[in-house]
Amino acid sequence: MPYILNTENDTGEMLRAAGLKSLSDLYSHLPSKIKISGEPNIPSGLSEQETGQFVKGLAEKNKILNSFNSFLGAGVYNHYIPSALKPLISRAEFLTAYTPYQAECSQGILQAIYEYQSYICLLTGMDVSNASLFDAGSSLSESVLMSLRITKRSKVVISSAINPEYKKTLYTYLSGFNFKIQEIDFNKDGATDIDLLREALDDNTACFALQSPSFFGIIEDTEKFSSLAKEKSALTILVANPMSLALLKEPANCGIDIVCGDGQVLGGSLSLGGPSFGFLATKNEYLRQMPGRIVGKSVDREGKPAYCLTLQAREQHIKREKATSNICSNQSLNAIQSAIYLSLMGKAGLRDCALYSLNLAHYLYEKLKEIDKVKLNFSRNFFNEFIWQADNGKNIVKKLYKEKIIAGLSLDGVSPKLKNGILSCCTETKTKEQIDSFIETLRNILG
Amino acid sequence: MSILKFSKTHEWAKIDNNTAVIGISDYAQHSLGDIVFIEVPKVKDKVKAGSQFGTIESTKAASELYSPLSGEVIEINKDLINNPQWVNESPLERGWMIKIKIENNSEVNNLLDEAAYKDFVAKESH
Amino acid sequence: MDNRLIFEKSDEGRKSNYVKKPAIELKEPGQILPANLLREALPLPSLGELEVVRHYTNLSKLNFSLDTNFYPLGSCTMKYNPKINEELSSLEGFLNIHPFQSEACLSGALELIYNLEALLSEITGMKRFSFQASSGAQGELTGMLMIRKYHKVMKNKKRKVIVPDSSHGTNPATSSMCGYETVVVESNPDGLIDLDKLSKVVDGETAAIMLTNPNTLGLFEENILEVADIIHKNGGLLYYDGANFNALLGITTPRLMGFDVIHLNLHKTFSTPHGCGGPGAGAVGVVDRLTDFLPAPVIDKKKDKFYFNYKIKHSIGKVRAFYGNFSVLVRAYVYLLRLGREGLLRVSQNAVLNANYIREKLKNDYNVASNKPSMHEVVFSCTRQKEKGVPALDIAKRLIDYGMHPPTMYFPLIVKEALMVEPTETESRKTLDYFIDCMLKINREIEQNAQTLHDAPHTTPVKRVDEVRAARNPDLRWRFSAK
Repeated sequence: MPYILNTENDTGEMLRAAGLKSLSDLYSHLPSKIKISGEPNIPSGLSEQETGQFVKGLAEKNKILNSFNSFLGAGVYNHYIPSALKPLISRAEFLTAYTPYQAECSQGILQAIYEYQSYICLLTGMDVSNASLFDAGSSLSESVLMSLRITKRSKVVISSAINPEYKKTLYTYLSGFNFKIQEIDFNKDGATDIDLLREALDDNTACFALQSPSFFGIIEDTEKFSSLAKEKSALTILVANPMSLALLKEPANCGIDIVCGDGQVLGGSLSLGGPSFGFLATKNEYLRQMPGRIVGKSVDREGKPAYCLTLQAREQHIKREKATSNICSNQSLNAIQSAIYLSLMGKAGLRDCALYSLNLAHYLYEKLKEIDKVKLNFSRNFFNEFIWQADNGKNIVKKLYKEKIIAGLSLDGVSPKLKNGILSCCTETKTKEQIDSFIETLRNILG
Repeated sequence: MSILKFSKTHEWAKIDNNTAVIGISDYAQHSLGDIVFIEVPKVKDKVKAGSQFGTIESTKAASELYSPLSGEVIEINKDLINNPQWVNESPLERGWMIKIKIENNSEVNNLLDEAAYKDFVAKESH
Repeated sequence: MDNRLIFEKSDEGRKSNYVKKPAIELKEPGQILPANLLREALPLPSLGELEVVRHYTNLSKLNFSLDTNFYPLGSCTMKYNPKINEELSSLEGFLNIHPFQSEACLSGALELIYNLEALLSEITGMKRFSFQASSGAQGELTGMLMIRKYHKVMKNKKRKVIVPDSSHGTNPATSSMCGYETVVVESNPDGLIDLDKLSKVVDGETAAIMLTNPNTLGLFEENILEVADIIHKNGGLLYYDGANFNALLGITTPRLMGFDVIHLNLHKTFSTPHGCGGPGAGAVGVVDRLTDFLPAPVIDKKKDKFYFNYKIKHSIGKVRAFYGNFSVLVRAYVYLLRLGREGLLRVSQNAVLNANYIREKLKNDYNVASNKPSMHEVVFSCTRQKEKGVPALDIAKRLIDYGMHPPTMYFPLIVKEALMVEPTETESRKTLDYFIDCMLKINREIEQNAQTLHDAPHTTPVKRVDEVRAARNPDLRWRFSAK
């Protein structure tokens, strides 16, 4: 029997010690009506060797992204991961450790999370960060709930150019309450329509939430939105891509009150979209409304610097039904992974990734522009992805796929205005040759 | 001469004519432990007897503060916000939280005097 | 050891050259984007790879972990995390797949999730599962939102959710996040649900009861069928917090106990690593009548082909982007393949045996919180020790000196000076004996040298941390100006 160390001899002696005759005596007080008769109907256990063979077979059935010339992004990005990252984050003393409630035997975890929180603050310019949430969807949802608590208002305004996966999560998270959610459409440039926002904001609006770079890749003029929201004393929530923040203005300097988003880009694998982690950073004044665990720096009894989980009175294990959120487990390992990634890449390395992504995406854009049948209707102010359109877009994507090219995400169904739209992305992992080959194949298909 | 009254939710009120200073009892600070954070209303806010007027946190617990009396806040203990330990060190003096203008003097009759509160606490902690 | 922060080890000018410079004409951001969108400086450190490797390797060495220490941590099921789980979940075929690739590209992943669902359905008696939730608490949110929507569609007027006073904090917190009022029902002196008290609070407005079974005192709720009856008769549903399901694998199912919606913590019962507090996964299972409310999509099979099925009549939507913590699902699946049907029972039996062994050996020296039989965990109430001036906290901290992680402390809230011990099935009798010896030794130390306990731990990189200071003056991040 794998993973169980009690021998028959041990079992016998332990049963005797407990005054029992057989293992089934341990369950003698359970009503017989609820006991399973016989064994559950699942296969017999496998040896490690057989398990490995079988599961490797399943893995091989997947066609990995790197076997294609892929321009897929849309929330999950294929960035380069330095070799040193995996051995560090796979160390058992991180991987198999529990939540660092016992500070004295968890100083390494706590310091690593403190460094993570610092990194998020440095990238976003915000005052404080929590120790992570699940993903961008849940961090957007928690940010919105935070704004509802802070303002005690009940209307939520969001940009329709937020990633649909995050929007869906937000709608679900808010479905237990009677809050009103209003979506603001985008204008002809693909940017969120500020005039529509002006109309939507009222004295009952808790927040305006937008994403930049948006789901369409466009860098929104966040300052304009936040100052408009401020006029109605509503908070502005930004869903940000932390990789883009290597180049883009710190959200704190754009009047943003809460920054959230997904950390997959900071050293995370694709993994079908999970696990990654969600981050959430805000201003000092909202600290006590921030959900999730937080690590603080203090001292020990001898005055030595020491770290511990802090401000726990906000959390479910103390405040129960009055807690800021029900969150308990978060995505600590992924958050620590991002701190290690940022340390490895460093200032210059992260900037390179962002700069190369920006340049390659714009190179692809310029190349597509040269093709007559390709329409590029949206703003050129994009980071690493953008939307292009061509008649029968979905069909073109299919034809390219046959040539081992994944052109991007087909947007049919996202919005009628985006019919035949394709969202294409470049990270630093793309090469000029791959882009040129994509363009050449596309030309052939379009004829 | 001010009079000291207590509520069953462990707040005290020091009543002086039409004003009352409000804080939490020694028993309350003791059961909460080391106070780390206090949130109180702003001057001119209204508080209502029996309703929440603020929150108080220790490292191990979070609790609501309920006003013993109704009225308008005329002063808050600003220094306490940065020195929450005063609630532990001196709950009835330096640890005061807000001062209100009493709206309805008859509410005072609903509160316990010191002896009655001591009895109440003795029963509750048993 | 150099315990400076990573930021303080930075030296301007270091660069590790990890990524390839593209063979196109490179423009500066300002040549591509308007200046008002760009930042002026990027305040990140510059380090060499060796520094980073040493920094985080040394940090890791300051921690207890399952691979290095025994974690008798109640309600957390810190069982061994098999290495094969790690190897197989790290296969390129599982790591390098994008959620927006076509179903044809993802067939192996879809098949794996589909198979995992079938195994868990059989083990729990539930009809279907959703794997979107990233933790137990998010599983609770998923399940309770389904219950809310179910009542809405059925036009049931429901207002409140019942939880026992021994429940996990996540239960009432989840109930609030679903817009329900939480009603707490007091346990009886044995630590079990009090049927009389329950009957008094349940009425037509009861949406659900949230229960853990075995409960947080490690006791089996013997009256579970009566509880189910009371709730169901009033049109309510039963939510199962599966945190303690490790005690019951192969013995009973939540279905047989009368539950309608459940979550399983794959990072507890199904051996996936805790990773300093996450990622976990909350698999949410439902009985037949609730399958129309599951988050979309679920994975279905048509003629040997697996696909994402978004056609769920009353779906609550999504609780997170994409399909959940997939890598965690791979690990749980591998674990279940290894265990097989005969393994399930061995897991629960040995988990319960180990807990009862500890109970027997310590019951004369430490009060047991309830006279009812223990299941996979035993809760001690250190009141005798506290009377001698040594609280449960000191005992817990002293265990660190003996190389063991403290048990869960001061929980459940209804037990004074609680220490909740869950050894799990993967620990050997020798390890349990060592734990027992240390607990007995600590009990003797109370008489001999209580100060040693007040000052514990002595062997860790830092002594007890000043949590009051941390909360009064929050220092939550490093700043460049602090240099």
